[in-house]
Amino acid sequence: MAIKRPPFNDISKDLKEPMATIEMDDLMDILGIDKKEETPLEPINDKIKNTYDWYLDGHIALGNLYPPKTKEEENELVRKFLSGLEKLLDPKNNWPMLQILKTGLDYCVRCQTCSEACHVYIASGRQEIYRPTYRIEILRKIYKKYFTPEGKLLGSFVGADVDLNWKTIYRLAELVHRCNLCRRCAQRCPVGIDNGYLAREIRVLLSQELGISPTEILEKGSRLQLTVGSSTGLSPMALKDYLEFIEEDTYEKTGVKIKFPINKKGADILLIHNAGEFVSWPENPAAFAILFDAAGISWTMSDEPVGYDSINYGLWNDDIEAARVVLRHAKIGKDLGVKKIVIGECGHATKAFCVVGDRILTGDLGSSEISRESCLPLLWDIYKSGAIKFDPSKNNFPVTLHDPCNMVRNMGIVMPQRNVLNAIAPRWREMHPNGVYNYCCGGGSGFAIMQGLNFPQWRNKVSSRMKINQILNAFKEELDPGIPKYVCAPCSNCKGAIRDFFEHYKCKEKFNLTYGGLVELMVNSMVDMEKPYISWDEY
Amino acid sequence: MPFIDVNGEQLEVDEDGFLQDPEKWNEDVAKYLAKTEQVEELTEEHWKMVNYLHDYFKKYQIAPMVRKLCKDNGMDLKKVYELFPTGPAKGACKIAGLPKPTGCV
Repeated sequence: MAIKRPPFNDISKDLKEPMATIEMDDLMDILGIDKKEETPLEPINDKIKNTYDWYLDGHIALGNLYPPKTKEEENELVRKFLSGLEKLLDPKNNWPMLQILKTGLDYCVRCQTCSEACHVYIASGRQEIYRPTYRIEILRKIYKKYFTPEGKLLGSFVGADVDLNWKTIYRLAELVHRCNLCRRCAQRCPVGIDNGYLAREIRVLLSQELGISPTEILEKGSRLQLTVGSSTGLSPMALKDYLEFIEEDTYEKTGVKIKFPINKKGADILLIHNAGEFVSWPENPAAFAILFDAAGISWTMSDEPVGYDSINYGLWNDDIEAARVVLRHAKIGKDLGVKKIVIGECGHATKAFCVVGDRILTGDLGSSEISRESCLPLLWDIYKSGAIKFDPSKNNFPVTLHDPCNMVRNMGIVMPQRNVLNAIAPRWREMHPNGVYNYCCGGGSGFAIMQGLNFPQWRNKVSSRMKINQILNAFKEELDPGIPKYVCAPCSNCKGAIRDFFEHYKCKEKFNLTYGGLVELMVNSMVDMEKPYISWDEY
Repeated sequence: MPFIDVNGEQLEVDEDGFLQDPEKWNEDVAKYLAKTEQVEELTEEHWKMVNYLHDYFKKYQIAPMVRKLCKDNGMDLKKVYELFPTGPAKGACKIAGLPKPTGCV
């Protein structure tokens, strides 16, 4: 057993061992998977030890964060951190979120109710540093020390006892990337503190003030999207090649001819997919096209840069990047003259555009004349319209549903996807807990796309651990690999995380599990489809 | 950023060993990268895929879809994994000098 209870100020000290050590014995048990058969934990290699400050837990999320070389660089980090914190506390700079931040800093009663709600904390075997309160307590102590009269005067007597140096900042930066920002902790807090949101505020401070952000999220994420057109690197020219291939391939596989409508002015709906779908799950946008055409919907896609990629990674760490992307999406919809902009199966993009957008868009762009919506209610509307005939017996296999945190807990879209499954998937069952009480897939807040160094190991072993256990429990009577099973996850990010942990835990070989979105299941059960749409061999 | 040394030339790679500048790619670089991805020797079949990927990237600045690369090279995914044990994205694309895939892929 290696559970450690490091004092808060260890985060600022020269250490010989990490503040937490991940060991197999401590990790939560998973139904149907013997720990001895699990992929073993790779020890921390010398490259990591010699290059990075690895003393948080031996894992590195920020592969671009190299220790400072001079005293000046060290001082600069501290100065910028304090100036960033000051901005977060200033109503002029942080009017939308100041209240949440101040409530969290001033009113936590340390009851730890939130810890028991956190999948990372529980799955890790209750490592102290992963408590939702631990990272915030460090922020609180820094805040007290530098921004309150009693802290400045009395220091450690009033809990202002964490030193702020470059190590504190680097380890805190790693520690805010051990939280999926799923906000299950906030849901359970009796006082109304949102530790998930506070973790995001620290990420905002780090990204906007110090330029500290995982490469995948900022430089190769939002910035690439705003320059090339998509975080995947897909330019409008490449998009054309991709879409043509998807059209041909869909015809060969299904006999159905689709043609993605591009820049159709005056269409009712502009559909924006997470561009990762074109690259990794092309059957998803193809299924949308099949359904929309069969339902007689007037729709279009855009090939304007940013207009064909719904992602908005700023939601996880950067208000400025988030605002830029929301504006581009809204402007493209307005120029096309559509009535609605619908986001495909992507949780964070849906929340960024539909909820955060409300706080960003003004004037014409914020007008309620163009609504911004999730695709899930529309999919249920398509079913209800009766325009398409479905045969549920075509989906005669066990199905369970994953609730993407951003759309379900954080937006309250709970029933449309369940109504659809009730109608088309006779053997579907809930996993537990579910709906707004779901657990994150472990890939939330950018983790699914952070593939550098040994971070994927941490994600698969710790943050996705609760989800694989939930999935296997949902199928516990039918784990036999002779029975193919489908995890319905209507979110690109969740699918990325699920793909990786299915591979990590050998779920195809052991249990015959596959995964995909909701639209694929719908198309699979369409009476007019001559061949099955879901292919069980590929994932 | 780390560097690799190929025949005396220092080439910048990211923290997972992906080449940063595809212009610097050549046969020797491919051979060097192959060894880091469990490919001991690049056969004719390997080269076919590697050159295809490099050319596609040159034109489009992104890797092709997995299904497309299979189809265009007349291979199924199983065959791709036989040739490149670490897979099409991490293995084959890396050897072809492409940068690490980005976005929700």
